[in-house]
Amino acid sequence: MFSDHGSTVESTTSFHNLNGIFVSQKVNKIRWKPETFGEPHFFLTGSWDDESNKIVLWDIVENAEEEDFYPFSVAEYPYCGDVTEMKFLNTEYFACSSSSGSANVMRVSLSEIGEPLIQNYTTWENLHYFKNGDPSPCTALAVHDNDMATVGEDGRINILRAQSKDIVRRIDNADSCSINCVIYLNHNEILTSNLRGQMKSWDLRSDTKQPKSSFMLSGDLVTPTQLTYHPSQRYIIIAGDELGALTSWDLRQNTYPVNVLNAHEGAISEIQFHPDHLDHLFSCSRGGEIWHWSTKTKNKYGLEHENINAWLAPDDIKAKLEVLNLMPTLKKPINTLDLSNNRVICGGDNEAIYLINGITF
Amino acid sequence: MENDSKTILIPNELCRRAGIAASWRPINEISIFPYEKRSYKQKDGPSNFASDQPSSIFHVRHEVILFHPILRKLVNESNANFLALQEFVAEKPPDSKTEILKMSRQYRSIIRACLLNLQDDIAKTNITPKEKQELKDYITIFYSIECIWHLCEILFIDVIPGNIVLPPLLDWVRFHFPKPERNAATLLSGDTDNLDLEENYWPTVFGNFLQGRMNVVRALLQQHSAAQTAVFQLALNVLKNMPILNIVPVSEFSLRWRHWTAEIQIKLDAKQFMSNRNLDLIMRLIVGEESAWAEMHPHCETWYDFLAGWLFYTEPTVKTFELGRFADQSIDRMRVKHHLKHLDRVLLAFMKFDLFEVIKEIQEITDNGWLVSHLTDILFHSGRLAMLENEVQNFSSEDLRESFILDYGTTLMGHKSLWQVGLSYLDHCHKDGLPAIKLLLPRVAFDSEAKATNIISEAKNRGLNKVAQSISKILAMRSLSQGRLGNALTWASKSQDRLFISRIADKFLQEYVDTGEWRCIDMLDDFGSSMLASERLIFLGKFIELHKLYQAKEYKECGELYMSLLNSKLVPQYFWSVLFDEALTLAENEQLVFSSDQTEQIIYRLEEKQNIPELVSSKVYLLRLALARNLKRALMYEAQLY
Repeated sequence: MFSDHGSTVESTTSFHNLNGIFVSQKVNKIRWKPETFGEPHFFLTGSWDDESNKIVLWDIVENAEEEDFYPFSVAEYPYCGDVTEMKFLNTEYFACSSSSGSANVMRVSLSEIGEPLIQNYTTWENLHYFKNGDPSPCTALAVHDNDMATVGEDGRINILRAQSKDIVRRIDNADSCSINCVIYLNHNEILTSNLRGQMKSWDLRSDTKQPKSSFMLSGDLVTPTQLTYHPSQRYIIIAGDELGALTSWDLRQNTYPVNVLNAHEGAISEIQFHPDHLDHLFSCSRGGEIWHWSTKTKNKYGLEHENINAWLAPDDIKAKLEVLNLMPTLKKPINTLDLSNNRVICGGDNEAIYLINGITF
Repeated sequence: MENDSKTILIPNELCRRAGIAASWRPINEISIFPYEKRSYKQKDGPSNFASDQPSSIFHVRHEVILFHPILRKLVNESNANFLALQEFVAEKPPDSKTEILKMSRQYRSIIRACLLNLQDDIAKTNITPKEKQELKDYITIFYSIECIWHLCEILFIDVIPGNIVLPPLLDWVRFHFPKPERNAATLLSGDTDNLDLEENYWPTVFGNFLQGRMNVVRALLQQHSAAQTAVFQLALNVLKNMPILNIVPVSEFSLRWRHWTAEIQIKLDAKQFMSNRNLDLIMRLIVGEESAWAEMHPHCETWYDFLAGWLFYTEPTVKTFELGRFADQSIDRMRVKHHLKHLDRVLLAFMKFDLFEVIKEIQEITDNGWLVSHLTDILFHSGRLAMLENEVQNFSSEDLRESFILDYGTTLMGHKSLWQVGLSYLDHCHKDGLPAIKLLLPRVAFDSEAKATNIISEAKNRGLNKVAQSISKILAMRSLSQGRLGNALTWASKSQDRLFISRIADKFLQEYVDTGEWRCIDMLDDFGSSMLASERLIFLGKFIELHKLYQAKEYKECGELYMSLLNSKLVPQYFWSVLFDEALTLAENEQLVFSSDQTEQIIYRLEEKQNIPELVSSKVYLLRLALARNLKRALMYEAQLY
């Protein structure tokens, strides 16, 4: 019912300063390690779909004159299963989830002789499992301060706390389908999406095993592949789906989408708002595209737009957004991206990682 | 064909005693297990080898060096170049030579990067001797590949002005035999006095001389302790006047070259260089004296670096097509005819422009077909392969190219992670690519929905809806066996297989018949348009709607929906009993639900279905009673209205 109302986006192209290296494994997740002071130079990659998977810590050497960069691996941690998500909790600790049904909190630290290390801090084995006892992939993980939520193909939700090995809360039959995405709406509420495109919000304080509310992405069994919220207006939710569309909701009003944008060719693999430039969004796709979305500040008459978030504009959203193609389209999926100031890193199934420098806002 | 079978020992006691059997595992593995052969004459019973001890199954697979982490970089990077090349030629550009040359160079730089990576790794301290040997072997393989590709590029892909092959040939030799230049650099950068006391002084001079690096030769001679003597000055002067090929037209160059050598001959005849044996040798080489060239053999590592030097001084304007003849002569001179190694044979075949031989030989390189597939592909696109079609009847260059690409793609499909790369090669096999994908794609193993979704989308991108459908169905069956009815129905719906969806919908209904409860009520809320995929699913959806209307006390709508279900012909046989139960509830409802007309229809259906085994007679009796009472209520109500 929304397809006729969705508008299709065309992108313009501008290749920034781009560097790539091959890393011998398909990259499923890539994350900058935040630093207390200064710009991040460490980042993590997590592999998937390989005989043995790894989390690798990389450092970047930059050559200022040639504007060149060369990442080299400084530490490795063999990981059981595909790395399905990685999220930093602070500058040192990060949480990660595995297709083997477990989750970990790990730590990036320095050894006695000053060499970087990845250490396991806590492991939660068998967080996700099927009724017949088989392990179920943990498909996604969300963090909020020190709280974590994991979801899996088993339709189960686990709430964990980074400091404790106990499971704080478990909702066993949260969904009769695989849950693919989870985000925190606030400290006490999470939003999940399942294989059928059903979105459910859960009040974590309530004892019932029923969601607080539930709504659909579309009526056609389209699976959401990524959820995100606007960094300053958390009630704005955007879902990327397997058909490459972006759908946004205003959770304050009702549970019908505000608009639907047909964006990428192929499934959307990750979307992220820039933490400092809030009207800038980055997205990548299985079709090998990586895009930078920005809000036009003036309309075609040169007038300032009304003070409304472009993602909530019910009509003509296309006219309010600009899309820049950050890289020539790859012939393989781009699975992940991460942002830090004016730098974007991304990685994918062509076993390469790329750093794009000099993003302009 | 030599016998290249290999014996693999299965280290297992049970296998040794009982014997083994094997079966294929897709795509690149054989599964081996203990097995006792039984004949029909033997009594049917447990084997003597059966025990409750755990026994082992072994997976044997063909070793693919390309799966080594370093070589995987080469695999992925060359894949990008391969795809760029296919994309480029698909547009049928009018002039493709320059671009194809660029891509050939790109392949070479990928090989170079791979070699550098291998060398970096071999220098690491934390590797085992076995790993070190492995890396060494890879380096040898890829050095050969680099050398072969480079020569191929010169002879088949690049455009050589006037067919004068020597300058690029010399570049090739210089690139692959960097030792003389390196040695010269070391000598010249050091203490400049008395270089000739260094042991490798003269070998370095000759090495550079053979590679035509006259500037280096002169620089070295100038640093000789006797450089100021008359004979050295004379030699330096002579060498300085050597004509350079690429400055002047060929005809003029030939003239100058003849003059130059003739002058040297005169000086030789006058015995002007006699006082220094080495300088005399250099001059005799320039004029092409046989005995002098025979002395050069120890200075050459191979027949082809000899060939380049020899041609540089004796046939500097040699044409491409004459190269094979000189190559043979050079092999004779070096007396290596019976010691030709694999690489030698490939290079010789190139120089003879014998592409069949080349392709035959490079297939034997143990690089799992990387070189033969990529090189054949680029030769095909540059039009060089098609020339062979005139030479041999019924030969199709396209088929030849395709057979290699198909093999290479299939090999990669056998890897857990590189299957997508494999796919992209099969995509460019126009004849058998798609059928191969159809067979291989469903055999790619998956253990998560994330990977399965990837496989499905690769199938859909290629229009292989049947494959996509069958994978969705596997996911549905898997979900069923894991006790996830809801997920099973979702995958069944995604598969869009009507019968299959009905089967799963039946399970829902059946479960309701058995327990009177819905298990996956969360998903039954919202079927959306997916409900239309199967009649059984429509029935399920409508039946749930009936419950919702009843709960919402919308009795009139509820009654109408009930009637439409009753008359829909969608009701499964096993469900009639449940459907009549609902009639009972509705008929007994405080508020009148069914009109007299509707009640009569229900009674009619009941009489029609009363022989269904699930309908027990006591229930039929109750129903009749309830319906009769309802009929009475309805008639009275209707009578009041009219």
